[in-house]
Amino acid sequence: MRRILAVAANTFRESVRERVLYNLVFFAVLMTLSGLLLNKLSVRQDDKIIKDLGLASIEIFGTLIAIFVGVTLVSKELERRSLYPLLAKPLRRHEFLLGKFLGLSLTLLVNAALMTLGLYLTLFLTDRGVELGLLKAIGPIYLSLVLVVALALLFSTLTSSALASVCTVSVVVAGRFSDVIHNMKDVIPDAPVALIQLLYYALPNFGNFDFKNRVVYGDPVGWSDLGWATTYAAVYVGLVLTASALVFERKELP
Amino acid sequence: MTAPPASSAPALEISGLTKTYSIGLFRRRRVTALRNVSLSVPRGEIFGYLGPNGSGKTTTLKVLMGLIFADAGSVHVLGYPLPDPAWRYHAGYAPEHPYFYDYLTPREYLAYSGRLLAMPSREIEARSRELLALVGLHRSGDLPLRRFSKGMVQRLGLAQAMLNDPDILFLDEPMSGLDPIGRRLVRDVILSLRARGKTVFFSTHILPDAEALCDRIGVLRSGELLSVGRLDEILDLNVSHVEVLAAGLSAEAAASLAVPADRRRALGERIRLEVAEADVGQVATAVEALGGRILSVQPVRQSLEDYFFRELGAQEQLAQTLEEEQA
Repeated sequence: MRRILAVAANTFRESVRERVLYNLVFFAVLMTLSGLLLNKLSVRQDDKIIKDLGLASIEIFGTLIAIFVGVTLVSKELERRSLYPLLAKPLRRHEFLLGKFLGLSLTLLVNAALMTLGLYLTLFLTDRGVELGLLKAIGPIYLSLVLVVALALLFSTLTSSALASVCTVSVVVAGRFSDVIHNMKDVIPDAPVALIQLLYYALPNFGNFDFKNRVVYGDPVGWSDLGWATTYAAVYVGLVLTASALVFERKELP
Repeated sequence: MTAPPASSAPALEISGLTKTYSIGLFRRRRVTALRNVSLSVPRGEIFGYLGPNGSGKTTTLKVLMGLIFADAGSVHVLGYPLPDPAWRYHAGYAPEHPYFYDYLTPREYLAYSGRLLAMPSREIEARSRELLALVGLHRSGDLPLRRFSKGMVQRLGLAQAMLNDPDILFLDEPMSGLDPIGRRLVRDVILSLRARGKTVFFSTHILPDAEALCDRIGVLRSGELLSVGRLDEILDLNVSHVEVLAAGLSAEAAASLAVPADRRRALGERIRLEVAEADVGQVATAVEALGGRILSVQPVRQSLEDYFFRELGAQEQLAQTLEEEQA
């Protein structure tokens, strides 16, 4: 466990020193400007606009980091061969993978936490209510980001950073349109049912993590919904990480 | 951390190691990188693993470090089978052309390495201080590695490999990329390790380094181990000829010496003569009789380089080098 944490700590440090968290500055500017602008315009339901914008930013920035840092987690180490002296030490390959996964997940947690603080600060400074209920949308967003990291890590063990980016983006986009795949039979009646079913169940369904509208518009989000999202994320991440470990364990390093 | 390894087993035992690669678009062509390589390195020995580029040195080290997997054969390190991670607590490895995270400082990198080796924090700090001084990086310990030269990174590679005071050290081309001072430093470190009873297995194609350091060598060609043994077993250490360096001779006077033209070479105002050991006295007398003077007399033995060229064939090496440059 100590070795996994050492790799995780180093991955987190890399994100910080490689200025991955600089997106927060952009987010802070965006939040401040939106707050100021909406104050001037006195738009109706302006607090909902701030919440929508804040939650969407947490999701979009987080997903971009998860994909584009995630796909380099292993491939960059292989391309630069920085992994060689580490694997010569008593570090197992699956420990390295798990450490990398935890390190980036921690980076995303810090990123999401700081953005959440920024969102609450904007709401507070513009005299709008600070609702803890927003966390019911932010928590599942974070789970979806962790799932994206796991997918990016899997592709990172299989191929180069560039190709891994393409694969991860494809799966994430497809996973965000799971309902379209599910209803494909209605659009293309000749499409084979088995294939549609396979795609629907194999691809991650990111709809399971989307509570943004329900939270912003005050629809109740029950603990069972959150429990299902957490269980889904845990099982899917577990399967993807196991697949990554199996691939990486027998991979011949260049 | 596991218990120290049993001291009776050899430091390294390789038996029948074979490795092939599939190459080409559909991976249908197979290239044999290592062919039935077997060798044993006792404890406390400096073993030089020699061969031209592409002969399989790095492949062997990558198999030993678990970076790639052999098709056949077995490896034991410090008595442990290769897949058992226990020996790794007592071993160190410095890769050729190392890259360490350029956002870290040497001290941070060593701390990271130490944690992977399950070393206590205090020991990591003490060893880091000691090793950074040893490899001449004590003043750069807190600078980010992105500001380091290639030679400095190479020296850090040696430091991280020695962090756990390993019983066996694997070094892949440890002198490449180093300036003369750096090379001297690495040589001294390797010799000091031997003095402390440590085993060093290093690959190189820089033959003078191997001659200066190794107790035994193994010579590899196209994945096959040509020979393993002490230098005096592999090389003919009898004097092959004597080099006489003379000065003060005109071209005509030099031509009148009983030395064939292809054994005479003018070096500015000096002349180098290659003569048989038995003829040295006669040639020296003749030089002085012609008004010249003897500057030096140097017996020449077969060098590793001579052996290399004889065994591996200069043509083959030249062709291979050209092929690699074109690739």
